[in-house]
Amino acid sequence: MSRVSDYAFINAKLRARIGIIRSSHLLDEMIKSPSLAEAVSKLDGTRHGHIAEVYRTTGDLQQAELSMMEDEIASYREIASYLPAHSAHFITVLLEKVEMDNLKNALRLWYSDVVRHHIISFRSAYVCRSLIVHSIDYDKIMNAESYQEMIRAFSGTPYEAVLSRFSLDILTEKGLFPLEIALDHLWFAHLEEALRHLQGDDRKLAEKIYSVDVDLKNILMLTRYSYYFHLPHDQLKDVLIPMGYISSEIERLKAYESDDPMAVIKGIVQRRYPQISEEIAAIRGTNDDLTAADENASQILRIEAYLADRRKSEYMKLLVGKPFSIGVVLSYFFLCKGEDSLVSAVLSAKNYKWSETKIREALGL
Amino acid sequence: MSMFTQKMRMLTSVVMDSDREKVVKALLEKGVMEFVHIGTLPAEKMQKLSQHASTVPRAALTDMRIRIETLLREGSVSLPDIEKTDIDNLPSLDMEASRRALDRLSGSLDTIRAQQREINQKMNFYREIIRYSSEKNDEYLDLRVGSINHGDSKDLAARLDAIGGVFLFSSKPLVSLTLRRDSARVSDVMDKFGWTESTDAEAQKGAMSEAMGEAREKVRNLESELKALSEESSKRIRDKADDLCALWVNVRVNELCEHVESYFSYTKNTTLFSGWVPEEDTDTISKTIYDVTGGRCIIEWTEASQVAPEEVPVSMTSPKILRPFERMVDNYSTPEYGSINPTPFTAIAYLCMFALMFADLGQGFVLLLVGILGTVYYRKNPLKKDGLISRYLCNLLLYLGPASMVGGILFGSCFGLGIFPPLWFDYEAVVAGEPAAGLVQSVYDILGITIKFGICVIYLGLILNWINLVRKKRYFELVFDKNGLVGGVVYTIGIWFAYGFVGSGYREFPSAPWFMPILLICLALVVIKGPLGYILGRRSGKPKESVGRVAIDTIMDFVVEVLELFSGFLSNTLSFMRVAGLGIAHASLMSAFYQMAAMPDNAIASIAIAVIGNVLVIVLEGLSAGIQSLRLNYYEFFTKYFTGHGIAFEPVGLKSRIVVD
Repeated sequence: MSRVSDYAFINAKLRARIGIIRSSHLLDEMIKSPSLAEAVSKLDGTRHGHIAEVYRTTGDLQQAELSMMEDEIASYREIASYLPAHSAHFITVLLEKVEMDNLKNALRLWYSDVVRHHIISFRSAYVCRSLIVHSIDYDKIMNAESYQEMIRAFSGTPYEAVLSRFSLDILTEKGLFPLEIALDHLWFAHLEEALRHLQGDDRKLAEKIYSVDVDLKNILMLTRYSYYFHLPHDQLKDVLIPMGYISSEIERLKAYESDDPMAVIKGIVQRRYPQISEEIAAIRGTNDDLTAADENASQILRIEAYLADRRKSEYMKLLVGKPFSIGVVLSYFFLCKGEDSLVSAVLSAKNYKWSETKIREALGL
Repeated sequence: MSMFTQKMRMLTSVVMDSDREKVVKALLEKGVMEFVHIGTLPAEKMQKLSQHASTVPRAALTDMRIRIETLLREGSVSLPDIEKTDIDNLPSLDMEASRRALDRLSGSLDTIRAQQREINQKMNFYREIIRYSSEKNDEYLDLRVGSINHGDSKDLAARLDAIGGVFLFSSKPLVSLTLRRDSARVSDVMDKFGWTESTDAEAQKGAMSEAMGEAREKVRNLESELKALSEESSKRIRDKADDLCALWVNVRVNELCEHVESYFSYTKNTTLFSGWVPEEDTDTISKTIYDVTGGRCIIEWTEASQVAPEEVPVSMTSPKILRPFERMVDNYSTPEYGSINPTPFTAIAYLCMFALMFADLGQGFVLLLVGILGTVYYRKNPLKKDGLISRYLCNLLLYLGPASMVGGILFGSCFGLGIFPPLWFDYEAVVAGEPAAGLVQSVYDILGITIKFGICVIYLGLILNWINLVRKKRYFELVFDKNGLVGGVVYTIGIWFAYGFVGSGYREFPSAPWFMPILLICLALVVIKGPLGYILGRRSGKPKESVGRVAIDTIMDFVVEVLELFSGFLSNTLSFMRVAGLGIAHASLMSAFYQMAAMPDNAIASIAIAVIGNVLVIVLEGLSAGIQSLRLNYYEFFTKYFTGHGIAFEPVGLKSRIVVD
């Protein structure tokens, strides 16, 4: 099969959908709506139409969000079914990310019950229980009385090994953060593996986009966890995703062995992403006084805004690139994910009766 | 219906400022004027005019209108017919009071949703318990049967409700069904009441089914409550429907007035406005303004010929029966002012093409039936969103069905079967290679017919183009353009040449003494087009260019024009072979399905195959024929005469499309 026959149909199909997403004024109309009920009704006639229906029937935003997630899963499966095997496998790995977010929700509920002793009650209904990629017993997770019992819910999945590295004592002491980071790393390892199985231009395109993607995520973690939360260097090392330019440069320059690892890392980021060098340089290594903390927070917001823009422009470049490649598929998922997140955020904001201005500020719109 | 685009005239009028509102409303009721900004007055006079100052910002009116429409849609209430409203006697619009009323309604909807959410959450909880039981995951459940030594069972139930579960405390022994993950919390509460577990095995056994029955009952009740609340939210809107509709009309009229008045200019006491009106409506508009103002007005009409043609909006009047085809034209573009209205020609060409490609009496009747049923369905459900078979498609099928039926009668085909004699020739028999009498005996003859049909369509396009050019007095293009007379002559001799070659059995090219001289004259005209165009351009003030530049342009233009002349016309003509291709595919597919239907011994299977075959052919071939007909119109027919440089006439009236800037 040629690349044209592999991608012609899906390219045409997704470009039509992308056109609809990009020309949509949905978010603007939702933000302008004076109430949640009116904001929800703007979803009628869009690809989120039945979310509005779920909300009308249940009045429950979380139920609507679960429905959105199920749509997302269906969308990944539909697109994978149109692609050749090697590309379809890559899409399945992307779907693993959705599964991971879902299982993190389940783990948080379990943690809330067993460690924090809070009642889960009806909240377990908002976890998607159907098969996404791996066979996980979500009921067992949320009803497990011990950590070992909980791990058995992941039996036969790649997550089992990661969970086995932790214990109830570790999670009680450190929270879920290290476990979630370890799961993220597992996904990135799967992603790296799946990238290797892609062919020709698909591989080049995907490697490029995810290399930038990982770099941006690492910068975010550096700014958040090092400058803001003062994570020690040895722990920071475990947090950073071992992929992309920044991670490999840190490794190559043996940054953690230097006298001032953060200065070396700063240099690496500034060389690769000079557009944010001023913000990076302005961040102070301490936030002992409130002024420094405020200043750091605003610098980090600026960095995040730049990174979000950069990420968006990288994905948009794919749309004007080679038409018969996996690029258009990746762009489509990016746009959908972006829109889904914003729709969710706007609905939540409306639920809390935020003003139009406050929503726009918070979402950077 | 006019053969050409409607003649337009531009109105410029001055009325007293006190009459402004009445004039605006009267013009909105007529809905035949497209307003334009007055920009042609000298600058010093323009400075003395002021612009419209809004009492209520139009954006606020638009937002409120959208809000009302959203609420009406939420309650499944149709928008009112604004034309049936007496807009002269509308109450003044109190934006603040209206906003408060809408907020109240919206707030009450949010309250209902909050109640729904609470019920849904309870329901989710009970459903989890029911699911564990039905999936035999009893290890996740905690069933307790017993009694309490002190305290009131009602107090115990109230405390346990905060944790969640099914509690049967009205009779003894007491039954509690909770989730195992909440066991510790349940035990803590029960211990405070001195819970003692029953040792009665029978009571333990029956307790589970009793508790599950209670859980199911609770879910059923909650489902009913949820449904009732969902209906309540719609009912609350419907209860306010009259107020909402009245408010919508008021807001919409104000919004339209604001829109119209944004084009107005003012002196201290007068209002100045201008706009385009179709010539046939000019008397009505003049009379309306005179009547409304009591003659206190000045009206001036400017002919379209005094304005640059590209600035005149274009209105086409086609009979209602041709509306679906007018939309096809609109989708392509707007014709230039003063040119031929393409709609009737498009309708005829499209229907002929479809009939030739999808000729079947029975299948055409199915298309007609779908069109009728769809139209009736959408009329009964005006708020229903377009489905896969949209309103427009249903409307179009009302034409395509009969066209296909006529084709079927001509070619003697009904559901692919030759059950009646053809009026023209038996298409299926010819495609199947059966011996046939008459002029059409093989698929090559069918191809020949469609090529001749294509030649007719292309000639029609050229003739329409020549008429347009004469009307626009563009004689240079009429003579020299590839779609002008030169193109027509080259195409004619090309056809003569091709027919001569085919007529000789592809053995020799035809010859005639006039052939070469005419061809050379045509080529010479193509060569001189560039230099002559340059000379004429210079006379009308275009910039001077070097001789070398003109020469290079002439050579390049000549090469491109000659290529376009020969290959363009050839490909345009051969493109019509697709009409035969689709027709042959249709006959072949039907024949194949009937052969497949004859294979099984079972009559039901045979009928099923024949029906499925017909459905597939109707859907797939119908779609292909529709798309190909559109393609032939757009690329082979329209490109000959339809420049599409016009701007559409968009009058503002009560029924106008929603105006949003």
